[in-house]
Amino acid sequence: MTVPVGAYIAVSAVLFFTGCAGVLIRRNAVVILMCVELMLNAANLALVAFSRKYGSIDERGSVFVVFVFVIAAAEVAVGLGIILSAYRNRPVVNVDEIHQMKG
Amino acid sequence: MPVGPFGIDPIIWAPLRLVIAVGLALFLVLNGALLQIYLERKIQAIIQDRLGPYHVGPFGLLQTFADALKLISKEDVRAAATDGWFFVAAPALVFCPMLASWAVLPFAQDIVGANLNIGLLYLTTLGSMTVLGIVIAGWASNNKYALVGGLRSAGQLISYEIPQILALVSVALVVGSLSMIDITRSQTGPFVNVLILPFSFLICFNAALAETNRTPFDLPEAESELVAGWLTEYSGMRWGTMLALSEYGNVTDVCAIITTLWFGGWQGPGVDAFPLLGALWFTLKVYGFIVVMMWIRATLPRLRIDQLMSFCWKGLIPMALVNIIAVATLALVFPNSLVPIAIANWALVVLFIAGIPFLQRRRLATLRARARASAAPAVRAAS
Amino acid sequence: MTFDFVEPVVFALLSIGVIAGGAAVVLLNRITAAALLMAFTFLCMAGMFVLLGAETIAAFQVLIYVGAITVLILYGVMFTKFSDGPRALLFKRQTPIAAVIVAAVAIPVALLSFSFTSAPPRPGGGDLPALATSVFTDFAFPFEVASVLLLAAMVGAIVLTRRDDPEEAAMRRRR
Repeated sequence: MTVPVGAYIAVSAVLFFTGCAGVLIRRNAVVILMCVELMLNAANLALVAFSRKYGSIDERGSVFVVFVFVIAAAEVAVGLGIILSAYRNRPVVNVDEIHQMKG
Repeated sequence: MPVGPFGIDPIIWAPLRLVIAVGLALFLVLNGALLQIYLERKIQAIIQDRLGPYHVGPFGLLQTFADALKLISKEDVRAAATDGWFFVAAPALVFCPMLASWAVLPFAQDIVGANLNIGLLYLTTLGSMTVLGIVIAGWASNNKYALVGGLRSAGQLISYEIPQILALVSVALVVGSLSMIDITRSQTGPFVNVLILPFSFLICFNAALAETNRTPFDLPEAESELVAGWLTEYSGMRWGTMLALSEYGNVTDVCAIITTLWFGGWQGPGVDAFPLLGALWFTLKVYGFIVVMMWIRATLPRLRIDQLMSFCWKGLIPMALVNIIAVATLALVFPNSLVPIAIANWALVVLFIAGIPFLQRRRLATLRARARASAAPAVRAAS
Repeated sequence: MTFDFVEPVVFALLSIGVIAGGAAVVLLNRITAAALLMAFTFLCMAGMFVLLGAETIAAFQVLIYVGAITVLILYGVMFTKFSDGPRALLFKRQTPIAAVIVAAVAIPVALLSFSFTSAPPRPGGGDLPALATSVFTDFAFPFEVASVLLLAAMVGAIVLTRRDDPEEAAMRRRR
């Protein structure tokens, strides 16, 4: 009895919306970044599930996933760079208080 | 189903070879750690013209047992301010990826835990998980020296993964497969891969020395630096797990990868008649490399952290990139013959070795100029 | 006896791990524990990729996410840890509204996702040869663009976090 593709998509949807809720309700900038990573992972799961179950022989969905990996890694690096630079300026990591573009 | 040696029934051979593979892996890792501690002390002693351990047992062979017994019976000292679960979990996080990587290493013909067709990728993946354990160990100790040591070690490990992976990729390019069994089988007889890709071997060996925190790259855990680096707060069997089992297991693991990729793995004279003899050749080759690593430890001084990082980013990575470009281009241009790749690689080795004096002279001049420029006026006037 | 029950059981365990890890990241107070449970989520995701037969993607997932991104996030957590004062963990006004909206969208989507019809079974085997061929022939240009993107991200991250070295500034002034 194999697992239906809908089960994978349901897990992906729940994880995506968990990450979405995290971005909306958490205040720590690093935790928001972690929730964005969760959303990217959920998207990857959906892509790979569809690619392996419905896709053609040349694995195009998985190729897309490789590029999502690349972009996620680049985004975490630059995002942490931004957070740490702002932290060096004023030592707060609470997004409520990083609301001025000045300084 | 593969037929076993001496015509053993396939149904018996299928689980039996897994049992043998798991047994050999555990033996090489656990007993190997004991043996290697003893070997290290004896080899350092011989090179340093002294005796080494000789009290406990004949030739000091039982010394490591005594040490292990002492470690197990030590009190579990834990500072109250350490971070609970992470402090306890960190040794496991450092040890488990190393143990898991023994599943794909072939010990003899047919004796491999799992014939993954992404075997090499699996090994690099597990290598990158060790970094997490070290960062957590440094963080959980709640000790500034341990934290800095852990972050330095993590930085060193992730930097040296790059030339290691590039060197492994060059072998995969030449062989055409990532599976460890295919790589072993592609080296027939005496034509082992080191004759084709010696430069990759040198790069991977250097990167492996750094990946396993061995001298000359052992700044994060040296006894005279930063107290003891990221291991400061660990004592007793936790220290035993992290240092002895994990480090020597890692050394054995990395030497096993190098043996399989460049030196034919379990192949040697007599394996056609007795397939299980391959395990003996494998062990001998792996321990040969381990002895070379210990020899290097007894001979070379330690690199500073900035020298270490600049050796990686300004030295090994450009060399690994040049190597990959040469191998890939030649593999495309001459798809049927391995000779151009071999010539290019040996030429790179010769170039590298011949070029060391020039680079050193230029670097010495730069350092002297920088020192003179920033020195006090009195010294500047004198020099 | 047939081992047919293995795949659904493993899938159930992995999906519990994934969702529990995600919930922990959103709800936990201690962010170091949240970062490690995020790594646990990534590992369970890699398991799901293996279950689907995409083993190369699973290896990349562990290599990139657990090996690199988790370490980066731990560095970020360590460097910014001691700045949170005695403030609330979550936004006071937004939390109930956000929870209601997200639940209202998530539950129908999760239930509707079971309506996908099952496809004819594909031949098994790994995905490595097909993936490698696709990336380097059909998608060679996006691959090169991705490498340039990584280079730009690396340079950008270094430039963003550089401190002005007082010696270098003095040397620049002297010149």
